[in-house]
Amino acid sequence: MSLLLDVKNLNIEFHTQENIVKAVNNVSFSIKEGQTIGLVGESGSGKSVTSLACMRLIPTPPGKITSGEILFQGEDLLKKSQEEMRKIRGNDISMIFQEPMTSLNPVFKVGEQISEALMLHKAMTKKQAWARTIELLDQVGIPNPSQKAHAYPHEMSGGQKQRVMIAMAISCEPKLLIADEPTTALDVTIQKQVLELMFKLQEEYKMGMLFITHDLGVIADIADEVVVMYRSEIMERNLTQEIFKKPTHPYTKGLLACRPSLDKNPKRLLTVSDFMTEQGAEKEINKELLHPYEKSFSFDEEKNPVLLEVKDLKTYFPIKGGLFGQTIADVKAVDGVSFQLRKGKTLGLVGESGCGKTTLGRSILRLVEPTQGSVIYDGIDITSLDAPAMREMRSRMQIIFQDPYSSLNPRMTIAETLLEPMDIHGIGENKKQKLDKAKWLMNKVGLNANQLNRYPHEFSGGQRQRISIARALTLNPEFIICDESVSALDVSVQAQVLNLLLDLQEEFGLTYIFISHDLSVVNFISDEVGVMNAGKIVEMNNADEVYHRPQQEYTRSLLEAIPKGIPNEILF
Amino acid sequence: MIEAIMKKESALNKMNEKTYLIERSKSLYQDAFERLLKDKAAVAAAVVVFFYSVIAILSSMGIIAADWNTEVGPSYSPPSASFWLGTDIFGRDVFTKIIHGTQVAMSVGLFTSLIAIPVGVILGAISGYYGGLVDELIVWFYTTISSIPSIMLIISISLIMGKGLVAVYVALGTTSWVSLCRLIRGEVMKHKNRDYVQAAQALGGSKLRQLFKHILPNVTHIVIINASLQFQIAIKSEVILSFLGIGVQSQPSWGTMIDDAKLELVGRGVWWQLVGATIAMFIIVLAFNILGDALRDALDPKLKGKN
Amino acid sequence: MNNLIYFIRRFLYLIPVLLGVCLIIFFLFNIVVGDPTPLLLGKNATIEQMETLREELGLNRALYLQYFDIVKSAFTLDFGRSWATKQQISQMIINGVVPTLSMTLPAFFLSTFISLIVAIVVAFYRGGKVDFVVRAACIAGMSIPSLSYILFFQYYLAYQEGLFPIQGYDYGFPHFIPFIILPALIWIILSIGPDVRFFRTVILDELYQDYVRTAKAKGLSQVNILFKHVLRNSLIPVITYVVIQLPYLILGAILLENFFSIPGIGSMILSALNSNDFPVLKSLAVITSLALIIFSLLTDFLYTLVDPRVKLS
Repeated sequence: MSLLLDVKNLNIEFHTQENIVKAVNNVSFSIKEGQTIGLVGESGSGKSVTSLACMRLIPTPPGKITSGEILFQGEDLLKKSQEEMRKIRGNDISMIFQEPMTSLNPVFKVGEQISEALMLHKAMTKKQAWARTIELLDQVGIPNPSQKAHAYPHEMSGGQKQRVMIAMAISCEPKLLIADEPTTALDVTIQKQVLELMFKLQEEYKMGMLFITHDLGVIADIADEVVVMYRSEIMERNLTQEIFKKPTHPYTKGLLACRPSLDKNPKRLLTVSDFMTEQGAEKEINKELLHPYEKSFSFDEEKNPVLLEVKDLKTYFPIKGGLFGQTIADVKAVDGVSFQLRKGKTLGLVGESGCGKTTLGRSILRLVEPTQGSVIYDGIDITSLDAPAMREMRSRMQIIFQDPYSSLNPRMTIAETLLEPMDIHGIGENKKQKLDKAKWLMNKVGLNANQLNRYPHEFSGGQRQRISIARALTLNPEFIICDESVSALDVSVQAQVLNLLLDLQEEFGLTYIFISHDLSVVNFISDEVGVMNAGKIVEMNNADEVYHRPQQEYTRSLLEAIPKGIPNEILF
Repeated sequence: MIEAIMKKESALNKMNEKTYLIERSKSLYQDAFERLLKDKAAVAAAVVVFFYSVIAILSSMGIIAADWNTEVGPSYSPPSASFWLGTDIFGRDVFTKIIHGTQVAMSVGLFTSLIAIPVGVILGAISGYYGGLVDELIVWFYTTISSIPSIMLIISISLIMGKGLVAVYVALGTTSWVSLCRLIRGEVMKHKNRDYVQAAQALGGSKLRQLFKHILPNVTHIVIINASLQFQIAIKSEVILSFLGIGVQSQPSWGTMIDDAKLELVGRGVWWQLVGATIAMFIIVLAFNILGDALRDALDPKLKGKN
Repeated sequence: MNNLIYFIRRFLYLIPVLLGVCLIIFFLFNIVVGDPTPLLLGKNATIEQMETLREELGLNRALYLQYFDIVKSAFTLDFGRSWATKQQISQMIINGVVPTLSMTLPAFFLSTFISLIVAIVVAFYRGGKVDFVVRAACIAGMSIPSLSYILFFQYYLAYQEGLFPIQGYDYGFPHFIPFIILPALIWIILSIGPDVRFFRTVILDELYQDYVRTAKAKGLSQVNILFKHVLRNSLIPVITYVVIQLPYLILGAILLENFFSIPGIGSMILSALNSNDFPVLKSLAVITSLALIIFSLLTDFLYTLVDPRVKLS
């Protein structure tokens, strides 16, 4: 097979006001006709920039391709004029982006947006293009295609929009398809369907494919070869099977190991730093860290009394409408949830977006007022507490949010952030005592206490999440709700934060509710797991039971949708 | 439990103060300020604003241009070495009058902002944060105010309050809080649902604390940008009010000077009052315009680190 | 169906706003001023004269009745008679609207059209020299007071060069045309700065959206992207901006009409102001507010036409 795309020694820089950032450093790889290459890396690794360069879509300025060649069918794309590039884009090479919500033009019908490319590149008439558009929509599995072609993007679900993007990308039967994190924004079950579709279409149209993702698991089934990028450089490139079986580069090993599996896991997750030093040199791995850990699901009535009991909790949001803005219906975000949670244990709540898991977490803390039911915490029904008593109660129960960028007040230093809750609740006798505690907590969450006077924007996502944890701990709580607390983080950082949460639980005897859409993360951290769907807990049991002997059809479909990918045996 | 462990650990290894050399760092405002300093046009604009302010203060204290009302030469003498910008109908020095007019212009900008900002911020914050009936009332109030064309409102208010500077302040102040109020309301509503405010609630912070300590500091940049805009609009509006005869009385302002020109140009060809006052005003309004744009760029609400 | 309910609701909301407008006007003219008779009769009026005038103007009636009068006038559009000219105010307004609109309408549409074109060109060459020069010109142009523009152009172009009539107005098409050219030109110069800046920002905001990247990846040309994809999306804020200015066209331009002696609403406001003619000022405030309220409803309606996402609820 001949080479379709051949990237040679590609270098890309970004010029900011302060400095020059090398986004892509000497990257070379190639794609043969009909072959799929997975380009894997964490955020900031340069993978998206590389893919945009292949389309010559890097915003210039600030971006600049400084040297290298991108040969497409033997011709260097970097030497082509914009005019020539336009004939290639969408026709020979096409691209799918991560955000289906914003990637389609909101004011045009989806059919118009697909036929536009056909009319441009294939010289079709409006009528021909429309007919072909309907065929394409049918092919990507949109029900009722002739009708749906007239729909506007906002009238479709996220999964359907991504299917429209795919239809648009394959419309001119391109030779190369670039997919930049096409499934990251989607729920697992939808992700599975979209991946299957892409795989099928690739076979059908014999396209070469460059599949960019941060998740090794996603491409395990789909890619022929994998290229691993880290800090703007290629770390390792090999056949997919080989990468998974015997990764050679320490970074790849770390990347594979830090993702919790559904099967057995070590007591603490391994992280990239267990395999590689800061400078990138290989490290001798401590064999003891690899031992699979048997969780104990038993409890001791004395040590693990029931701390939290939720009884038939309902949270409805009214939908206003009608002539006078009266309530015409309710959104039943949480619809009759009951469970018990024992001290020192972790309850994992999983479900897809919109299932009500976040509202449930916030209703338990009364950040959202529940409509009905009771939340009994340590014998006290907190739903009946008045405002001052509730504020008092808040020191015992805390929450850690998902987005590390919005969960810290950008105008307050870390010290101010950590001291504020102590001020509110009168913890510590004087400023020095409070500051001492803040320093101690900083050390506990693995940060340097010297950085207390800094502002949030100077920390990375993972560090901010540690600060959020420290803030939650300032009030000496017994119970913490982690609401998608690791979802926004890169896998290697995610592993570190998960380990930290487990360390803190062990040391302080904390009780967690861990909310996530990620089944493997929930499996790793939880003792008990509740699966949520449409505001209800459909299945609840200890983690082993739920994952290995699921009782409900819904749970089974969730589990089946998880990308397999990581043959865990290789680690043990 | 956490407390107990901390006590134990602290007792074990007495924390050594010296190991904590706390690092200082820049707040977002300091950072924005430094970015502003790199923008040459913005620095020049700031210098102009500062210069005008100093002149206004000195003039209001009677240190400079106190003699604007004395006859120094013949009526309508053209610009010359002794009268840089000529003289007016009463033989008064136009340049001195312009200097004195700075005081009026800057005070109109200042007092209008002093009325509009507190009203706009307080109503906007209450409306955005508390929502419900209070919100509906405030929204109704500013929808109503903004439904009356502001020129009609200004005319009515100054008619009622009588002529003079105070009427100008109040008239411009009552019409210019609305846009700020609307902006602040929207921004507060947005921040109210941010995780860091939810976190403050989860930590037991009262509503007032959430609003004053967390939300308001995050919307102040809007006030700053808006103030720079309002300032120049007020200065420009003073001219129109002077023309309508409801502005400043018995002291020179740029507005009255420009207004005088309608009688001086035709026939007499006296252009220097018009040109002098126009340039004086052009410079400060331009400075505020440039500063406003630069502030918007520097205080960009897209907070750093997100990209 | 949903849209219909929405519009009925929006329409009903006009009532409290209109009542509020009347309340503010009532508060200013009937409460704060209290007794305008000294203003009307001068300092030497006797108590008896003032009393008869008060009776005549209906100022001795109960306050709620006076408020009710204003509300009634907003619905019937019958504003009574002017204190100064004793004419029917509604007739005065009708007489004034024609000259005003004959100047403001062409000026407004021309300036909007030109600004939009300039903004598109500037957005196309964003970051380049053209962009910089236009932006600098806009910001400089905005910094000169409007009165200076009028004085300068009237003096230079009309008085010195004699290119246009200095002032005056002639009713009927096409007689009025020579008289409105210069004021319209000044109007355009005055509004082009802020308009171009606004339109440019709106267009640039759209240019950085994700869908533009998709359009590029499809192989569409810059021109196609800008004119088809971006412009259609920018229309939404542009429409609000344009439509909400329309009521002000009725109000005219007080300065321009005065300087060029156009017998429109703007001149009417000024003479009412000078003669303390409260009923005229009040009725103009009511009628322009009414227009503003109705046009804001119209903007909402236009949204549904341009933006398929707007599900009114």
